[in-house]
Amino acid sequence: MKAKLLMVVLLFLLPGFLFAVGTQEKVEITGPVTIEFWHAMGGARIELIQGIVDSFMKENPDITVNVQFTGSYNDTLNKTKAAGKAGNAPHIFHLYDIGTLGMAYSGMITPIEDLTKWEKIDWDAFFSPVKNYYTIDGKHYSMPFNSSTPLLYYNKTFFGQAGLDPAKPPATFADVIAVSKKLKGSGLGLKAPITWNLHSWYFEQFHCLMDAPLVNNNNGRKGEFPTEVLFNREPGQKIVEWWTGMEKDGLFLDVGPGWANHRAAFGSGEVAMVMSSTSDVNQLTGLLAEKGWEMGTGFIPKPAGAKGGVAIGGGTLWITNGHPDEELLAALKLVKYISEDDAQMKWHKGTGYFAVRKTAMKKLEAGGWFRENPNFMTAFDQLLESPYSVNTSGALVGVFPELRSLVQTAIQKVYAGDMTVKEALDEAAAKTNVSIKEWNELNQ
Amino acid sequence: MQSYFKNKWLPYILLIPTFIVLIVFLFYPAFETFRLSLYKVHPFGIRKIFAGFYNFKKLFTSADYLHSFSVSFIFSVAVVVVGLFVALMIALLLNQKLKGQLIYRSFLIWPYALSPAIAGAIFRFLFNPANGYLGYFSSLIVGFEPPWLTNSTLALVVITAAATWKNLGYNIIFYLAGLQNVQKEALEAASIDGAGPVKRFSIVTFPLLSPITFFLLIMNLIYSYFASFGLIDVLTEGGPANGTNILIYQLYRDFFINSKTGYAAAESFILFTLVVLLTLIQFKTTGKKVHYQ
Repeated sequence: MKAKLLMVVLLFLLPGFLFAVGTQEKVEITGPVTIEFWHAMGGARIELIQGIVDSFMKENPDITVNVQFTGSYNDTLNKTKAAGKAGNAPHIFHLYDIGTLGMAYSGMITPIEDLTKWEKIDWDAFFSPVKNYYTIDGKHYSMPFNSSTPLLYYNKTFFGQAGLDPAKPPATFADVIAVSKKLKGSGLGLKAPITWNLHSWYFEQFHCLMDAPLVNNNNGRKGEFPTEVLFNREPGQKIVEWWTGMEKDGLFLDVGPGWANHRAAFGSGEVAMVMSSTSDVNQLTGLLAEKGWEMGTGFIPKPAGAKGGVAIGGGTLWITNGHPDEELLAALKLVKYISEDDAQMKWHKGTGYFAVRKTAMKKLEAGGWFRENPNFMTAFDQLLESPYSVNTSGALVGVFPELRSLVQTAIQKVYAGDMTVKEALDEAAAKTNVSIKEWNELNQ
Repeated sequence: MQSYFKNKWLPYILLIPTFIVLIVFLFYPAFETFRLSLYKVHPFGIRKIFAGFYNFKKLFTSADYLHSFSVSFIFSVAVVVVGLFVALMIALLLNQKLKGQLIYRSFLIWPYALSPAIAGAIFRFLFNPANGYLGYFSSLIVGFEPPWLTNSTLALVVITAAATWKNLGYNIIFYLAGLQNVQKEALEAASIDGAGPVKRFSIVTFPLLSPITFFLLIMNLIYSYFASFGLIDVLTEGGPANGTNILIYQLYRDFFINSKTGYAAAESFILFTLVVLLTLIQFKTTGKKVHYQ
């Protein structure tokens, strides 16, 4: 009961905190400060992040950072929410791209830009797609950390054996079908020529490639909340027709949701092509090398003549509110450090995520990194060739996680033959619109 | 009993700790959940709008939610019936004097010690569509690989198998204990009267096991409604096309992914009411047929 009362009191105080933050013009760290940092990168990446933080602490002996891996993005968000309600949110937490609008209106964060008067951040050094995604109405909210886009990976050895040009990955929707048919008929014993996991991310990225909005009101990017989705229009239908059509023809292997199955299928040679995140370059290269196969990378395919580009995905670091100024400054220093060249180069080499700053990329290039590892270059090229528009910046939607699961269910309904593409997308759109309306009402 | 307590308030005082625990961890949260279910709640809880029965109305007119009801129903009946039947058969086998029966028993009870997520991971190794073991062997033997996890009917079968397997150890322990309490005299008397093994089982053993069967019925029902979330999350995420989206998983989605606290509270309340009702019905019907020694 007491905790509840306390929470209610805190909720009333929250707006106060919002205004209290950053009232001081100048803040300095005068004594030892301890901050909490929760992130969502498992496996070998835990050590990688710890290493970056350790070198930060060496340079800033007054600041102690407790780093914790807190599960998936979604788990991290839920843990942060719960901790926030109990009054001890971590100073910094790590969240997916699609949580951006929700967090901006969560009442529990401090926009990075509100803190930059204490310590400047050179935004011009960042790649603009990366910077743009996390900017709402011209204001920077969170610090880009691990940025990625999808990439097409293909087995060069298999391409050679099937009589295809190993230097030429398919570039358009039609190419993918043509190449897949050739691979299927080649006697390689594939389960299917191509796969990717059941994830709405690809559906969204194809919209970006076609320069089509996912939601209305300028893709939610111009200061107004979106009021309805547009993914059930012609571009969306074209994407799902192509995607599920390949599945029907036995060209595409349905491996279900999650991030493990499609990688495994590619690594074990069940398929010859896979779409996945750019952050998988290291892992997939390793998997194929184990079998003595060579891997190639290409841009993700688009319909012939499409004029858009990829949008950035991945995650950023958010700073919460309700902490003393000194701790906020320490948090700012850490996220800044993580976004700078040294840390980003280390991160890029260890994972395949982009370095989020142009300057870091130039340094990588000068060091000969891309000459030795051309597959890492593909991702940068794909991003740099993407023109800017509200559509290629990626949509801002408050109910994005739900939108995703509805789109995925729609695709599965088409797989199962329960519905046509249009029916399934219309149904998903209608449901998303109801949730958008409810979200908007609560965030007015 | 009363004579044990000189002071007539003492029993109440001794009950207080239990009640405090119940109030703090059961009654208060249940009440709060019901209260929240009447609101539209901001994803981060910073705003609430009173909405009456809006959430309930939306849920009961949603085709997805009603579909989730029927999936839950099929799933729970399958888990209870298959689970109890298989467990009883295995318990009967284990109740014989076999060489090394301790080893068999330990192995059969083992799955119960696994967490649902680990059990899910094991089933994923077997059934996953990319390179599952079962798929590999079936394509070797019959040249065809059923879409275990990507067809909604088959996925429900796999989930049911996993949930049943996971709870098998629990059911076996109880049945085994029950079987060892069946008096030899009764069985011998039946034999003398000319009853064969099947008859002995159906007129002596099974009625004597009825209290345990009834207990397991309710425990398995609750298990199927509440505890199988981990399996589903690891294996299918509620798919394909909501084919394994049982009520508890929809609740998880709405709270932890969609951040729709109001809906989630309403769903939680509905689920709670449903299980209470089902349990009551069982007490009124099956419960009457239970024979207590």
